[in-house]
Amino acid sequence: MAEVVIEVNNLAKYFPVTRGLFRQKKIADVKAVNGVSFTIHKGETLGLVGESGCGKTTLGKCILQLIRPTSGEVIFESQDLCELSDKELVPIRAKLQVIFQDPYDSLDPRYTALDIIGEPLRIHEISKGKEYQERVAEPMNLVGLAPYMAERYPHEFSGGQRQRLGVARALALQPEFIMCDEPLSALDVSIQAQVLNLLDDLQQKFGVAYLFISHDLSVVRHISDRVIVMYLGKVMEISNRDELYKNPLHPYTQALLSAVPIPDPAVEMNREVIVLKGEVPSPMNPPSGCVFHPRCYRAFADCPKVVPLLADAGGGHQVACLLYETSRP
Amino acid sequence: MAPLLEVRNIKTYFQTQDGIVKAVDGVSYDVNRGETIALVGESGCGKTVSALSILRLVAEPAGKILAGEIIFDGVDLLKLSDEDMHKMRGARISIIFQEPQTYINPVLTIGRQISEGLEFHKNMSPREGMQEAARLLKLVGIPHPERRIYDYPHQFSGGMRQRAMIAIAIACQPQLIIADEPTTVVDVTIQAQLLELIRNITKEFNTSLILITHNLGIVARYAKRVFVMYAGNIIEYGSAMDVYHFPCHPYTAGLLASVPRLDEPRKVRLQSIEGQPPDLIAPPRGCAFQDRCAYSIPQCLNEKPPLQEIGPNHYTACWVSQKGTRPWQK
Amino acid sequence: MTAQANIRVATRPHHTLWGDAWVRLRRNKLAMAGGIFIILLALAAIFAPLLTPYTFAKQNYNAILQGPSWTHPMGTDQLGRDTFARLLYGARTSLAVGIFTQFIVICIGLPIGSIAGYAGGKVDNYLMRFVDVMYAFPDILLVILLRSVLGGSIFNIFLAIGLVAWVNIARLVRGQILSLKSRDFIAASRAMGGMGRHITWRHLLPNSLGPVIVSITFNVPRAIFTEAALSYIGIGVQPPTPSWGTMIQDGFGLIFAKPYMLLFPAIALALLMLAFTFLGEGLRDALDPKMRR
Repeated sequence: MAEVVIEVNNLAKYFPVTRGLFRQKKIADVKAVNGVSFTIHKGETLGLVGESGCGKTTLGKCILQLIRPTSGEVIFESQDLCELSDKELVPIRAKLQVIFQDPYDSLDPRYTALDIIGEPLRIHEISKGKEYQERVAEPMNLVGLAPYMAERYPHEFSGGQRQRLGVARALALQPEFIMCDEPLSALDVSIQAQVLNLLDDLQQKFGVAYLFISHDLSVVRHISDRVIVMYLGKVMEISNRDELYKNPLHPYTQALLSAVPIPDPAVEMNREVIVLKGEVPSPMNPPSGCVFHPRCYRAFADCPKVVPLLADAGGGHQVACLLYETSRP
Repeated sequence: MAPLLEVRNIKTYFQTQDGIVKAVDGVSYDVNRGETIALVGESGCGKTVSALSILRLVAEPAGKILAGEIIFDGVDLLKLSDEDMHKMRGARISIIFQEPQTYINPVLTIGRQISEGLEFHKNMSPREGMQEAARLLKLVGIPHPERRIYDYPHQFSGGMRQRAMIAIAIACQPQLIIADEPTTVVDVTIQAQLLELIRNITKEFNTSLILITHNLGIVARYAKRVFVMYAGNIIEYGSAMDVYHFPCHPYTAGLLASVPRLDEPRKVRLQSIEGQPPDLIAPPRGCAFQDRCAYSIPQCLNEKPPLQEIGPNHYTACWVSQKGTRPWQK
Repeated sequence: MTAQANIRVATRPHHTLWGDAWVRLRRNKLAMAGGIFIILLALAAIFAPLLTPYTFAKQNYNAILQGPSWTHPMGTDQLGRDTFARLLYGARTSLAVGIFTQFIVICIGLPIGSIAGYAGGKVDNYLMRFVDVMYAFPDILLVILLRSVLGGSIFNIFLAIGLVAWVNIARLVRGQILSLKSRDFIAASRAMGGMGRHITWRHLLPNSLGPVIVSITFNVPRAIFTEAALSYIGIGVQPPTPSWGTMIQDGFGLIFAKPYMLLFPAIALALLMLAFTFLGEGLRDALDPKMRR
């Protein structure tokens, strides 16, 4: 197994909800991320799936310390990033990069493509003059943008091209890890394939690790090596990619997979759709016991009472569900 | 039996700073009673504009429906007076938009918004309207409807707002519902709920549905016939089975190949379509897809291919296909 | 990326952000008229000695209160001074006030607004409460107070007006920065190691420029009018330095006998303020932040 790049231990992020005119009193916590642990290895893609409100974006931002976690550890190069100040993080940030979801919002509209890709180089004061030009030209080339586009502004590019620009910017410092926060959601279907292939190629070439956050299960299956399924701030299931899609254990995973329509009318005609009842509850007031039990079609008496822990189901497959816990300490 | 809706050769153009954008450039399709069809395409292909054209909701003076006919239940909508058209909207044809926030008035309660249409089209009193609103909210699966009619839109979650929008759309029992990307902004499990709800409603009331989307999976699950749009034109249409299993246009084939499928073994590399859609201000002379097409022949550059029948009720606008070959079929 | 698709992007005319804005501004006839008027007036004020043989102070007791004539195109005032000359030199005062007060406004308002917006929390709270207090005072009264304290030289007048007018800009900048802070490209900059100073100077301020420019353009006529008002009540620039406000005050007493004495400076003031207002509105439309397609 390749070496571990990032180790996340018991990460939690609570957002306080306050009320009051002068002295704000805390009345509740929005438990966006509620105790998550996993590891990411060198050169691998860890897919993170879940629906809105599950905390996946918050988790991604916590790992990069763009949001400071409430508790837990994020270990990178033997250091806990949560303990480091913003200033101390600067050299480390060169190795941990991001690709954002919105290709319109993630680029400064006043910067040319050259400026955008070069910004990380300028912040870290790497190279001037000719070397700078070369180091900016290379990522542009790698993502398939022509050199004359360097002087253009973001509004002159299409959505797919802007996203490529974001990828180029993330590559400029040759990072070890890139957090991809729903990078394809805002793109058209045929452009998604382009960017997905690009991300794949770059990983093969540079051995960069990805945390690929998405709500699109088909896309996650394509690019990930391992997959985590999150719901309401907690991990429901972790597994190798093929295992998860062939043999989903958690009822939530099963419902998710069933809800994804397959682009083939013949297949769809014969499929049963598991329709979950109700909606995702508010993270301010998560259900007791297993957070999924109110919507679970296989819930039984113990589910509201006991919080299931992530248990090993064999072969690297872990699931947090009372259906699979044979013994409890 | 005659189709409920026949869109014939519609042209909708927009005047912009840089020139005239030919958003919809000669599009025809039809919907039978009780049938669900899908308009598929990516952003900018004109599917939304063509739907707005049906309801004459195109933003004037910049946008104009220049040519064509829209025959709904025997009447040409484009020739109706504004007043008569107003009576159509919401009553006989209604529309569900992509983002509930932009379409629902934030300062009116949900009950009032549903009731508005009922008061106008069905001459109900406000009290009757609110009662009916509660009944409709129950129909679309919103719990405690008798209380919820007094709530404001911001007190509903995203999925609930979309359900409320569906309630508004079905309030006057329309014959046709246009659903423009109704589930793009919601999660996959909510999407399943909403689409199943729409399916049940259309089945129960025999309502026709035009489903506009870029999601090929939804189309496969819910639509009987499919119309594929590209750069303001329909480039292929037929039954869902035919179009998905025997695509007769390289764009359709390319789209299908670029979507990863959960039920197939994982492909090592997705097939993508290189390049981007053309500029609608100066569309190319020949086939609009030609510069991205791996199978084009010289004729494609010079002449725009018309829609021709390639199989029983299966039409395509592609020279290569019309010559009898389908090199993209594996 | 196919070569052909590349060429398509290349042959579209290259739009820079300022270029786009300029094209939009040019199309707005009122704004252009306003801008041209201001430029012409500024040139006239600068080259005043070339345009009139009289100075603003030269008194001529033989030519008191004359109507417009060939020798005095706009007549003379009660001390025989040529009105046209006083108008031109007075324009210098008005334009100077308009422009220099804005320097002060930027020097105070921009930093306060940026710090409040970026720092947030307690700093934001305290600064904004201070701004609110300043805002609560009636502008003119505060200016009069400051003017009385500081004295009557023209620089002190700039100071008095500027020290009151920065409040709007501070709020505006703070608002801009607050809304920009949550944008993804700011997060991206932080993610690559950008710290407060870099983000503020390189991202936040440049993107706030548009509304700030518009606001300043609207502030100018307000400042000019404030100065005229001060001069009208006698505590503006001291004679013999001409000010349109003083001229209006002088003309007011003779409004029925010699209406032209009041009319010329009043119309000039109105036109200048209109010009800046049209320009400001034109700039606001041209610099609309939704510049992306």
